[in-house]
Amino acid sequence: MNLKKRLYLKLVLFLAIITVLNLSLVAQTFDAVKSRVKVHTLKSGMKFIVLERHEAPVVSFHIYADVGSANESYGITGISHLLEHMAFKGTKIVGTKDYEAEKTILVELDALFDQIKGEKAKAKPDAKKLEEMEKKFEALRKKAKEYVITSEADNMLMKEGDRIINAYTSNDATQYIDSLPSNKVEFWMAMMSDRFFNPVFREFFKERDVVMEERRLGVETRPTGRMFEDFFATAFKAHPYGHSVVGHMSDLENITRRDVEQYFKKFYGPSNLTVGIVGDVKAEEVFKMAEVYFGRIPSGPRPEPVRTKEPEQWGERQVIIEAKSQPRIIIGYHRPDYRHKDNIPLEALANILGQGRSSRLYELLVKDKKVAVTVMSFNGFPGEKYSNLIAFYVIPSRGHTSAECLELIDEEIEKVKKELVTSDELTKFKRGNVKSLLNEMKSNSSMAALLTYAEVVLGGLDAAFDQIEQIRAVTPEEVKYVANKYLIKKHRTIGEIVPEK
Amino acid sequence: MKLQRKLITLFLASFLSILFCGSSVYAQKSPKDKFIFPQLNPIKMPKVERVELKNGLELFLVEDHEYPTIDMRAMVRLGSVFESASKIGLASMTGRVLRTGGTTSMTGDQIDKELETMAAYVSTGIGLTSGYITVSVLKEDIDRALEILADILMNPAFKEDKIYLAKIREKTAISRRNDEVGQIAYREFQKLIYGKDSPYARHPEYATIEAITRQDIVDFYNKYFFPNNIIMAVWGDFSPKDMVAKIKKALGKWKEKEAEVPALPKVSYEYKYTINYINKSDVNQSNIMLGHIGGLRDNPDYPALSVMNSILAWDRMYKKIRTDEGLAYSVWGYYGANYQVPGVFRCEAQTKSESTVYAIELMLKELKRIREEEVSSAELARAKDEYLNSFVFNFDSRAKIVNRLMTYAFFGYPLDFMDRVKKGVEKVTKEDVLRVAKKYLRPDKVQILVVGKKEDFDKPLATLGEVNVIDIKIPPLKPQKKTGN
Repeated sequence: MNLKKRLYLKLVLFLAIITVLNLSLVAQTFDAVKSRVKVHTLKSGMKFIVLERHEAPVVSFHIYADVGSANESYGITGISHLLEHMAFKGTKIVGTKDYEAEKTILVELDALFDQIKGEKAKAKPDAKKLEEMEKKFEALRKKAKEYVITSEADNMLMKEGDRIINAYTSNDATQYIDSLPSNKVEFWMAMMSDRFFNPVFREFFKERDVVMEERRLGVETRPTGRMFEDFFATAFKAHPYGHSVVGHMSDLENITRRDVEQYFKKFYGPSNLTVGIVGDVKAEEVFKMAEVYFGRIPSGPRPEPVRTKEPEQWGERQVIIEAKSQPRIIIGYHRPDYRHKDNIPLEALANILGQGRSSRLYELLVKDKKVAVTVMSFNGFPGEKYSNLIAFYVIPSRGHTSAECLELIDEEIEKVKKELVTSDELTKFKRGNVKSLLNEMKSNSSMAALLTYAEVVLGGLDAAFDQIEQIRAVTPEEVKYVANKYLIKKHRTIGEIVPEK
Repeated sequence: MKLQRKLITLFLASFLSILFCGSSVYAQKSPKDKFIFPQLNPIKMPKVERVELKNGLELFLVEDHEYPTIDMRAMVRLGSVFESASKIGLASMTGRVLRTGGTTSMTGDQIDKELETMAAYVSTGIGLTSGYITVSVLKEDIDRALEILADILMNPAFKEDKIYLAKIREKTAISRRNDEVGQIAYREFQKLIYGKDSPYARHPEYATIEAITRQDIVDFYNKYFFPNNIIMAVWGDFSPKDMVAKIKKALGKWKEKEAEVPALPKVSYEYKYTINYINKSDVNQSNIMLGHIGGLRDNPDYPALSVMNSILAWDRMYKKIRTDEGLAYSVWGYYGANYQVPGVFRCEAQTKSESTVYAIELMLKELKRIREEEVSSAELARAKDEYLNSFVFNFDSRAKIVNRLMTYAFFGYPLDFMDRVKKGVEKVTKEDVLRVAKKYLRPDKVQILVVGKKEDFDKPLATLGEVNVIDIKIPPLKPQKKTGN
């Protein structure tokens, strides 16, 4: 070893020591933020979390509805996401020229939709009758549309300067986001309390068509989309993490407006909603407004958590997608949910193995053996609330196979099971997390998301606090322990895209 | 990603529970009631320092003490448009290997390890008409990060092993470029607009990557990387005076050059109506793009075009094709205006194979309509209100402010460009929107591209006109050129 290299190593060792020390300095920053977070719970159980941040006269809102595709059952897969789309369709007040008149037609439409489905389900459907009914359906749909003020809710928010009107649905949650100039909080309260407590799911059938196009776009025309869908279906045989967020096409075709209404009733009660608000506001004022606008809503029972647990896997599973595409591979191992004590060591394990240019798998597969151009690892796949997967995703380089990549990953996994990870590697994990967290806190919108996430997913702040200590205290022995406990071939699923001949 | 969210735990203490006592000054309003908004608090404009080092490196600095981090982003005047047609990929590889290929004192792998252990990020890259350098670091590590940055910029080693690795990456990307419909459509549409051999649309092939040597990379770097060819924005937890001193210490020794960066290649465009088809037999949804050349941002009509874009994208394409007809999840229409080179006017939608031609007809109908009749008062009001009421978001972070100024300076735009656009938008009328739509949109001369499976289309594409089939087969490397990689 030459002198330069030794000096370099010394430097790295030195850095490792000071960086660990300085983590606590950064912690002071977090303490300062923490003392400014305020929370208010309505009688109905709906929570508002506010962080005042007076950098600029703007405010961001994040509504976390504790419902996602994991709450769905066969026949209604995709309904959480479809409901998210429908939430933008207005209310009894917004989006309609005459709700009472419109309502009558909507009910007629629902009945006709049932009749059409009934006819189609017959052993010998009457083609002529079907055609007539479908004609009538289209005419009714057009009649209903005459009462609609298209996208009025969005228009109203846009006019007031809403910079991000959006929503997204995951396996675990449905989240709605807005950002407005900070003098318009009350307007937002009026819009949202109306949206969530007076919704009318109008233009249902056309919006369902939009969601079908979304499915074609994200899953069906995309080889990776097909691979992920089948991969989850294989890894989870019982738990609803096994179906995709967008749902099956046949379910989308058959879900009714009443299904959506019932689903809404069950999962959008105030106790299932948590709101994060960050920006140039006064917490006290926000809470007063929340009482006025959301306090009127009666509480309901909190929905039961998902009953089904994924049973233990009995052997390695494999699923192959043949596509006009170059190969890709994903490997996932079952792991417990985010509240389990092994969570943080598992995070450290994923980081050390496959996050960053100096991670073990990147160095081995990409830099050294050159069999891959991308390798990454992650937890919380596809969700975090229930037992999920720690996964490794690889894009092989041209001329190389998924099998070559898998063999090398297996070698590295054996190594991490036998030998302790280094303190450098753990430092990288700890500091990397602090840094990304600081970056996220720089935006009102992502901060509002963080606040609701901590509250709902981590199950309150006390539990959250326990995790801090775990991150600071995670040891090489714990990482080795979880590697041995979870990275077991018997408990893994492999998904592959294989080029179609 | 998700992990970070969980780390909120690092700073959240037990929430303060506030007892609410009932008496309220707010009375429940309907969203449609009239709201009288309180006065918006004023925007606090931070002081931005503009400093030029002796060697010509230009700095825009703004202090931001909210969190203990420092970030930098620099733009470099160069781009892939300057590489030769036989070596396409040279710029991209230079940008990559500058960062990965090590320096005269450290290997690239050592740099990776040291930076990641500090949770610091340094990256470099080169695009069509500019290059970038970014640094993101915890405040306490700024000195070391700057040393590494300076070493990368001033003493790059471009080691052969990392050039070889970069070639593998480029060639892998080539081999995978037809895997997904969206990527095919975007790439081929650019070629339709700018020309398939145009520096603004061409892409690497195995042969052009193979042809690149280490010397090419070194020459490309030498030609364009010098301090007076770079503008840098710096923001974070520092005092500008100290920060300038630190940058001076790290990069002050870097020698300036007298070299002239050539002018960007000109774009010439001939308006024509064409129908183009790419076969993708394994999909059930078509990817549709249509449009023609766009314009420049310093065009005096840019404010009116911005308003037109907002109406075209939202009230016309989105509401008609998505909301009313349910034909697409993503649908778009936009007259693109770039800083220096004409942008692209592009409408796009992805719709099931069975509604392909119908969707195209609807898109064309909307394009014709926006240049035949005035937009409605409601449409105009919505578009302008949205722009003006959300204007405050241009100032919601200091990073945004300083990066915008740097970008304007880089492209030679007035630093108050955005305010000028705003003043323009305030004055835009329905007549203006109609006038610019007529002047800049040519629905009779659009180029249409469909990537999909024609057997399932509602009508033959030929009903729209003569169809040109584009072959996207990837040219293989010539066998005699085989070098083992």
